[in-house]
Amino acid sequence: MLRDSLRRRLRGGHLSQFTVFVLLGVTVPVMLAATFVQLRTETPAIHVPSNVAWTEKTLDIASNGDAFRGSLLVKRCDHCHGVEGFSDRPTTPNLASLDRLAVWKELQDFHYGKRISPVMPPIAAILSARDSADLAAYYSMLPTFPDPQDNRSFPQAAPDPAQTNRSALLVALGDAQRGIPPCQSCHGPVATVKAAPSLATQNSDYVANQLDRFASGARANDINMAMRIVASQLTPDERYLLAQYYGAGFGRFPAGATIPQGMKDMK
Amino acid sequence: MHAKKLGFLLSMALVASAILATRIQEVDVPIWQRFADTNRVNPLTLHLQGEFVESNLGIAREPDGSFTLRMIAEQYMFVPHCVLVPAGIPVHLRITSADVVHSLTFSGTDYGVKVAPGVVSQATLQFSQQAEYPAPCREFCGAGHFAMRSRLRVIPKEQFPVLSPDERGNCASR
Repeated sequence: MLRDSLRRRLRGGHLSQFTVFVLLGVTVPVMLAATFVQLRTETPAIHVPSNVAWTEKTLDIASNGDAFRGSLLVKRCDHCHGVEGFSDRPTTPNLASLDRLAVWKELQDFHYGKRISPVMPPIAAILSARDSADLAAYYSMLPTFPDPQDNRSFPQAAPDPAQTNRSALLVALGDAQRGIPPCQSCHGPVATVKAAPSLATQNSDYVANQLDRFASGARANDINMAMRIVASQLTPDERYLLAQYYGAGFGRFPAGATIPQGMKDMK
Repeated sequence: MHAKKLGFLLSMALVASAILATRIQEVDVPIWQRFADTNRVNPLTLHLQGEFVESNLGIAREPDGSFTLRMIAEQYMFVPHCVLVPAGIPVHLRITSADVVHSLTFSGTDYGVKVAPGVVSQATLQFSQQAEYPAPCREFCGAGHFAMRSRLRVIPKEQFPVLSPDERGNCASR
């Protein structure tokens, strides 16, 4: 009985008009109304810091780049970031031997407009996820030993020892009272967390600029606000000192070496 | 007769599916998540979607007037870095981890919440008077564990900011 009526309906006749009426006359207006209601009740757009989430698929793409292909793509990066991954301007980051996940994530963030820069977005806009992975693989393989023939700006002059002690204390122990974790517990060389870039051979002006931008919220592409919180807890003075510390190349070694002097000052 | 009934039922089913296909009321949550367990989250995608996105962290006033405090624990901080709570009113805490196991405690109180990645830990907090508590992590979570410490500020309910439904309160500098 039921099957017969269905079959009659599908075969056509006067009942198919009814079906068309249902589809066009009822369903379409209801869908339009639902869309309208949805648009009216749309909540304000949430801030997504970065489109990158470290799922297995993403890790697979980001960590399996082809360094040889990267070495061909890198020709357009050489001018600013240096042939050997060391820039001749202290405001431009050094990329030699950086963690490949970090480089890949930043290129993706430039690509999707999550990180703002006057230079990088148009360059990253034409890079695919695979291109970024290849570049990251290439840069992660560059060595960091000094080259006298290169006009790199790293390392910059070291600040005076008293200030180095102060910044070494922050790098090694952070400040538990204010809730500032030690820099080297994420950025190495003591420990790392996923995609935290190494600061061992980073330029001071670049680090200072990025810390200030994190603190003011001008740079907001850190997942779950990690760097924005740390940078805003630091005073401007401390941010400057930390940048000097890393710019002078102290970040290549664990800050424990300079701690015994600083420990006396700690209560 | 049966044919007409069936047609009516079919059209109603179409209308229902059309409404279900578009998302109603909770526009930022897909409809199938209403049937999912809301206390299970993906720790890797907290910042992309769901209730633990950046702009939803902190204390919220629910439509029924109760308070919900949402936080994330990650290596090595709690987000937001300083949380605001009204005195004398129970606050429902929902916290999850983005990486490893942490434990949120408030020094000088009996509260302690174990936080694990993938699940939402819940607790009901109530503080009687104005105070400020350090909120350290009490589960070893890595090299920076000892410095993982945020603050909880309890303020009188008269001074507590009036939060609109879209607003989230905290006392962090960022």
